[in-house]
Parts: sequence; C-alpha cells; structure tokens
Amino acid sequence: MEGPSGDITVTSSNRKCSAVTGSGRRIKDGAADWHNLRARWEKLNDDGFVIAGNIVNLRLSSHREQQVHTPPAGGAAELQEECCKLHDIVHKMVAIVMKMERLMASQRGILDLEEFQFGPEGRKVPLFHSWTTKQFEDSSRVLLDAFRRELQLKQTILQELGHTVTSDLCMVYLSCWLHQPFTPPQTRLTLEALLLETGHRPL
Amino acid sequence: MSKAALLSLQQALRKSFQTLECNQKVWKSVLSECSPLMDSLANLAEQWKALSNIQIANTPLKDFPDLEEKLRFKLLLATDTVLGKLNEKMSALQSVRDAISNQVYAVIQLYEQNADSLDLLSVTERSATAPSIADMLEWLQDAERYYRQQFLKKKTLLQTVRADNLSLLESTPEKWKSLESPSADNHITDTLCKVSFFMESQ
Repeated sequence: MEGPSGDITVTSSNRKCSAVTGSGRRIKDGAADWHNLRARWEKLNDDGFVIAGNIVNLRLSSHREQQVHTPPAGGAAELQEECCKLHDIVHKMVAIVMKMERLMASQRGILDLEEFQFGPEGRKVPLFHSWTTKQFEDSSRVLLDAFRRELQLKQTILQELGHTVTSDLCMVYLSCWLHQPFTPPQTRLTLEALLLETGHRPL
Repeated sequence: MSKAALLSLQQALRKSFQTLECNQKVWKSVLSECSPLMDSLANLAEQWKALSNIQIANTPLKDFPDLEEKLRFKLLLATDTVLGKLNEKMSALQSVRDAISNQVYAVIQLYEQNADSLDLLSVTERSATAPSIADMLEWLQDAERYYRQQFLKKKTLLQTVRADNLSLLESTPEKWKSLESPSADNHITDTLCKVSFFMESQ
C-alpha cells in the first residue's frame, strides 16, 4: 500500500508531472488510459464502418438479384466473411468497454479510499488544479456510460445488418455506426477536460 | 495620339491577363475542392432522408428510444461542418472574384482617362500577334462578369441551404453542378490563348 504517501501534500513543484504519486498517479494514469482507449475505439469504428458498408452493399445487391431470378452465386460466402470481420471488430470493442469498466472501478476505489482517509468530505487540497476526486469519478462515469450505450448500439447493428434488406434501414444503421449518436461532443469535451486537469494537455 | 498612354494601357492589359490567368487556376482548384464537399452533402441528405423514412419504434433499434433525436443532432453537426467548409471555399472564390474585378476596373479606368488622347485606329488596330485594345478590353469585361455572376449564383445557392430543410439539402448538390458552365470557362481559356503572344511581347 502507498501508506502515508496517499495524502502527500501536493505543492506546485510536484503537481507538474512525474513527481505525482498515490491517488494522483492512479488518476493521471487513468486519464491517459481513457485517452488511449478512446483512440483505439475510434480506429475500430473507422475500420468497422468500411466493413459495414461492404455488408450493406453485398446484402442489397444479392437481394436485388434474388428478386430478378437466380439465387446469389458467391455472395453468401463473401457476406459471411464480412460479417465475421465485423464481429471481430465488435468483439474488440467489447474488450475496450471492459477495460473502461475496470478504470471506472479503480476510480471509485480511489474515491472510497479518500473518504476513508479524509472523511466524507474528501481531501481538502485538490490533487491537481481544481477538481475534487469526486469529479474524476463523475467524468469517468460520463465516459463509460457513453461508450456502453454506443457498444449496445453496435451490437444491435451487428446482429441486424446482414439480415436487413430495406435500404433506408441499412442507411440508418450505417449512419448510426458512423456518427455514434451516443457519444455527443460533450463526451469529447469531458475527456479533454480530464486530460487538461491531469496535466496531459498543457494549460 | 499619345504614345505613352498607349504603352501604359498595353502594360495594364498585360497585367490584367496575367491576373486572370493565375486566378483562373485558383478558381478551378477551389472548385475542385468543393466537389467532395458537395458529395458529402448529398450523402448526408441521403442519411437524413433514410432516417425520416423509417419508424425507429418498428425496427430492431426500438430499444434505443432517444436514438433518433441523438442521431439527428449528430447529423446536424456533420451537415453544419460541411456547410462551414463550403463557406470557407466561398471566401476563397470571393477573393478570386475581387482580384479579377479590381484589375479589370483599373484597366477600364485607365482607358477612360486616356480615351481622348487615343484615336480610333490605335484602339481598334490589330496585328498577327496582338488583338486590338478594344477586343481585349471586351474580353476582360466578359471574364470579369463571368466570375462575378458565378460567385453570386453559388453564394446565393449556399445561403438558401438549411440543414433542417431536407428538400433544399437534397437539391443543392445538383443545383451546384448545374451552375457549372464549361463553355464559358473554355471561352476564358481561349481568350488567354489569343492574347498569349501579346502577353509575351514587351
């Protein structure tokens, strides 16, 4: 355990960066993890969007062929392959959200620890610039909730995409995948605020 | 006839055609940057339309009651971004128009100031290498008018677009395309060819 270092007095000299220890260290590393996880999520989202687009094209064109006369030739195998790829993407997204849940849990742990150390009011002096430990927990929760809902949406899209033949609905699925409706600009701002507060971004 | 006036007018004409030549290139490159933006706008219009055509409650997405509202917000943001970028391009087109207009007004003004000292023959006389001054002034005015009108039409079109009006949004990329006038543009290129010897001569 960190012992007495848990309530180390943060002075302007060690608040800067590397000298941060204890709760501050954990929170700062957590902020960096949030940033990295989000970057990986975005990359997966982009890759997934290309695959989802392929699926829609294959599905709609094979549907058109079926309506005309012959059953699709090699389309089914190709469709299966693309669906598997999308499945992999969503699977990786599940892993990311699980890591986010762990981050959230450790954030809550820090809060509990501080309540134990300093009483229900928490610490008197902020760990970094101005945020209380509770605020770190709050912003983690905002981020986690957004990505959780986004993941649910992705999972629904994954299940339905290969079976949908109405072009409008396909378009809405793609639209949802691309624009990520449950991560509004506030999510991005919350993350940026977290990075600013923890000193990852220069003030 | 004033030889000096003639020379300075020719010099101003040369400069105007040089301005026209380089701004024609800028104009074209800005327009080519607009076409992917117009494609995005058309694509966004399609997404808007698809979203309006379906009832989320009757689809597998019914478990997300606030989805439509949130997706609309995101689409609005995306549409806004594209329109913002198009507006930036319009500023670039405006500076092309201004550069050409200013140059052409200046040469016309110079001509008018010296009109009394220039006789008809020296203004209308042409040679194997140089068109007449009268012709060149006319071509410059034609070109200036073309860019002025093109800019106005494009600007007006973009000002009528509203992200929340689907039919306007849908029709914009097509209207934008219909504003293009390759023949008028070729005409300016032809003009620049006609004056190329004149521009090289000193």
